[in-house]
Amino acid sequence: MFRAVTTVDAALRALDELGPGAQVIAGGTDVMIQRMTGSLSKSEPLVHIGRISEMRGVSLGSESITIGALSTHRDIRTDPILAAHLPSFVQASSTVGGWQTQEVGTIGGNVCNASPAADLGAPLLMAQATLVLVSSGGERRLQAADFFLGRRQTALEFGELLTAIEVPIPAPGSWETYIKIGRRSAMEVAIVGLAARFVVDGAVSAARLAFCSVAPRPMRVPDAEVSLVGTMLEDEAIAAAGRLCASAVSPIDDQRATASYRTSVVPRLVRQAAEACRSELV
Amino acid sequence: MQLEFTLNGMVRRLDVEPDETLLDVVRERLGLTGTKEGCDEGECGACTVLIDDRPVDSCIYPALAVEGLAVRTVEALSAPDGALSHLQRAFVDRAAVQCGFCTPGLLMTLTALLESNQNPSSSEVDDAIAGNICRCTGYSAIREAVRRAVEEVSA
Ligand SMILES: Cc1cc2nc3c(=O)[nH]c(=O)nc-3n(C[C@H](O)[C@H](O)[C@H](O)COP(=O)(O)OP(=O)(O)OC[C@H]3O[C@@H](n4cnc5c(N)ncnc54)[C@H](O)[C@@H]3O)c2cc1C
Repeated sequence: MFRAVTTVDAALRALDELGPGAQVIAGGTDVMIQRMTGSLSKSEPLVHIGRISEMRGVSLGSESITIGALSTHRDIRTDPILAAHLPSFVQASSTVGGWQTQEVGTIGGNVCNASPAADLGAPLLMAQATLVLVSSGGERRLQAADFFLGRRQTALEFGELLTAIEVPIPAPGSWETYIKIGRRSAMEVAIVGLAARFVVDGAVSAARLAFCSVAPRPMRVPDAEVSLVGTMLEDEAIAAAGRLCASAVSPIDDQRATASYRTSVVPRLVRQAAEACRSELV
Repeated sequence: MQLEFTLNGMVRRLDVEPDETLLDVVRERLGLTGTKEGCDEGECGACTVLIDDRPVDSCIYPALAVEGLAVRTVEALSAPDGALSHLQRAFVDRAAVQCGFCTPGLLMTLTALLESNQNPSSSEVDDAIAGNICRCTGYSAIREAVRRAVEEVSA
């Protein structure tokens, strides 16, 4: 069964009616492949939410930016509000697959699928985003840190939809980036990805470092973040933060890279991000 | 389930299964075999078609999601009298085709690019076709063909 809905209410009704087996499909770039390869059952009904227009688009509030869960990577990549305030989101979506993937794949699908390598997981965690989850019973809001539970596991419950992602507007003096290492520069799943933000006011007053593809879920490294506060991103400070990150991650070997390669890349990404920030701000 | 959409300007109505892909519908049910099945997992771009002018991989796109939308395939690029588009002509002239399997997908992606950006930079061209894999040409003839099509349209 393929049930196409155009409102959040209709989607929630369909999920309640069809029960826990029902599969939500947004762009389908993960779901279609999972049904073809058998990791999802083809006998379960699909609820197609791709055309719920109230769940798509980016808006700027007084304290936060709201990104509809159905915003595609292309929407994010070309959005002027995100370009001005949250460039790491723009950079992350720009690296997802190719143009064809970006036109169809959504931020909500990327986050709910919760692959350890999902590119948007790192900026969401770094930016302390809130996920808005709605069911027929009402709405709840979760911090990104509480939403990602493990490899392909999230706090999303049956009958719930992720409708939007709310991201606090960064403090003045913030600089951020998303850097991804793959086997080649396009059409690659991340071997390691880093979303980094430095708030600079003379010296660094706050830092946030969130990685993907080095643990079952996206992770921050608080020790390393704290170690950068008060520094001017000097070479030694960057190297020390890189070492703390390398000892915090727990990557695996897979077909893309070995765990030891991933660990060795981690401090280099920290250095690349910090040096880029230093050359612009410090 | 019943599906109605526009394919290359013609309204089509047919019955499809929930998991059928747009590629299956275009090739197997409607007999337009210009669109190719390459990897069948959204990686290679051989199956690229335009949905409301945007390039998508039809091999992983649920057919029922095109309800009411306009799909264009490579068959729609030439004029009714068979005259090739500028881009198709340039592919022929610059020998941007070797085995030809990736060509329909590349033409669709590049048609979408040129419709939205009449004078793309070389990095915009490369970025646009990152999801279209060609194992024969090494891409240089393809890039030249795009440049030629741009020059012809602006001439
Ligand atoms: C060729 C190719 C390349 C790719 N490259 C990358 C890459 O470089 N980086 C990367 O991170 N990913 C990549 N992906 C994976 C995928 O494209 C992205 O994760 C995409 O963002 C998924 O979005 P979607 O809308 O297609 O999700 P869908 O397939 O529709 O859904 C994915 C999952 O999320 C659930 N879901 C979706 N939306 C909601 C919602 N609003 N509420 C509740 N549940 C929801 C679905 O039930 C499903 O479990 C690639 C995929 C392909 C085919």
